[in-house]
Amino acid sequence: MTVEGVELVCPAGTPAALKAAVDAGADAVYLGFRDETNARNFPGLNFSRPELAKGIVYAHERGARVLVAINTFPRAGQPELWHRAVDDAARLGADAVILADLGLCDYAARTHPDLRLHLSVQASASSAEAISFYHRAFGIRRAVLPRVLSVAEIATLCAGVPIEMEVFVFGGLCVMAEGRCSLSSYATGHSPNIDGACSPASHVRYRDTGSAVVSELGGFTINRFGPGEPAGYPTLCKGRFEANGKLSYLFEEPSSLNTLDLLPELIAAGVKAFKIEGRQRGRAYVADVVGAFRRAVDAIGRGERPAVEMLDGITEGGRQTAGAYERKWR
Amino acid sequence: MGMLSERREPVSRPVEPPFSPILLAGLALAVVPPRLLQPLFDAILAVVRRRHPDILDRLSDFPNAVIGIDPVDLPFVLVLEPWPEQPRLQVHRDFELVQASAVIRGPLEMLFDLAEGRIDGDAAFFSRQLVFEGDTEVVLALRNAIDGAGINLEEDFAATLGPLARPLLRASNIGGRVYRRLAEDMGKISSALLGPLLRGSNTQSARIAELEQQVAELRRGLKARGRG
Repeated sequence: MTVEGVELVCPAGTPAALKAAVDAGADAVYLGFRDETNARNFPGLNFSRPELAKGIVYAHERGARVLVAINTFPRAGQPELWHRAVDDAARLGADAVILADLGLCDYAARTHPDLRLHLSVQASASSAEAISFYHRAFGIRRAVLPRVLSVAEIATLCAGVPIEMEVFVFGGLCVMAEGRCSLSSYATGHSPNIDGACSPASHVRYRDTGSAVVSELGGFTINRFGPGEPAGYPTLCKGRFEANGKLSYLFEEPSSLNTLDLLPELIAAGVKAFKIEGRQRGRAYVADVVGAFRRAVDAIGRGERPAVEMLDGITEGGRQTAGAYERKWR
Repeated sequence: MGMLSERREPVSRPVEPPFSPILLAGLALAVVPPRLLQPLFDAILAVVRRRHPDILDRLSDFPNAVIGIDPVDLPFVLVLEPWPEQPRLQVHRDFELVQASAVIRGPLEMLFDLAEGRIDGDAAFFSRQLVFEGDTEVVLALRNAIDGAGINLEEDFAATLGPLARPLLRASNIGGRVYRRLAEDMGKISSALLGPLLRGSNTQSARIAELEQQVAELRRGLKARGRG
């Protein structure tokens, strides 16, 4: 860590992405097991137990930490898979687990009292009261904040809680209802909060009509891209719909969060960890984004403003936004 | 799992092949029967199985998948069957007789870049340089499996070729330099030929944008008048 106490937390969907993140300067890498215990349960992605063991060795040898996301909500009456994930993460030497479910927080705190616990963004805890409760009840040491707060609100929150705050600084955005969104469940019958996959690929279709590419989710047409028009993720929240005679992105436009410009303000607000979204992305994305943020954090450590780096080529829809941190729509 | 042939998807190649040395090589290869190329792809699959068994492991949830890979600048296509017991990588002229679960299309250089993790698959898809049809789950699994394997083609072939590796890699490096020079020259030729056309098209696009802006302003004015 080059800026005192600020950690760069980077995504790893595969062992190759973990190496790319660590080599590009990640202070910590977060990842998940190859099942529905994490919120990026996509085909071909994530870590087997032996892969996690090797990944932890690779990261630790280079001074990086490994955080295991077990951040979906166990199915009623069937918590075993989630319990096993916590047990295995602890046994294999993970530096922390990232949890969302109250019951799982309780299980982890009781069963593995020495294991560091982080509160996932999926828990949607955005007030000092909620975060302090998780700390008092389960010894949570860090909370990942939902992407709904302005920088000023984050500063107030940081001053009012006894634990570290982690915020997203780059990547895909949700519609500000993390852990509570039912759009994907409505269209596909699969819940991102329980099954771990928003808009699962098994329910996504792209059709080339000759003049356009049409994207469908669970049989619903959600977008239509003309020739050369940048595409986005096939989620309902990024769908383009007609309402009151006007065709538009009703929920949110396909764009990626980028806060390179805001990092000094976030540090001043008291944020202790910067999280890069994108466990579903490839190792090229990981290397590019982690490298850019490493340089930015190091520049701040030297007392400089971070240089503006063009990351347009890897953003969704080719566009970037500062999201709720600036709330330009107000 | 969808079968493309049954669904009668358009057989055209939606990605325009770039004007590159690969395209010219492809023209020369058009007269070569695919079966003569098959031993090369058998060897490639053997290397993948030996050096990157995790790719097939990550695809093990799709034991019956048939994945079409269409390098749009070459006159043949590949069909990957990542079946656990007997995986196959076959060369075909096209997908006419293939019951593919999914098809991935893109220029060869981009497919190599994706395999080696030099570019991000989502970004290539967002920019529409890479297209796919059919079973999205299979495509995503293949993308993640290949990206996660950490493929380095040079190292893979060096490990496979043994004592022949050094001279062949040197030849390959020289070939790479020649290729890059040729690609650069072809880029200049392409710019010279298409430059005037693109300028005209850009002028027209700017004019259309201007007219659209005027129409929007007129509409807003009419609406405001209606409210008043």
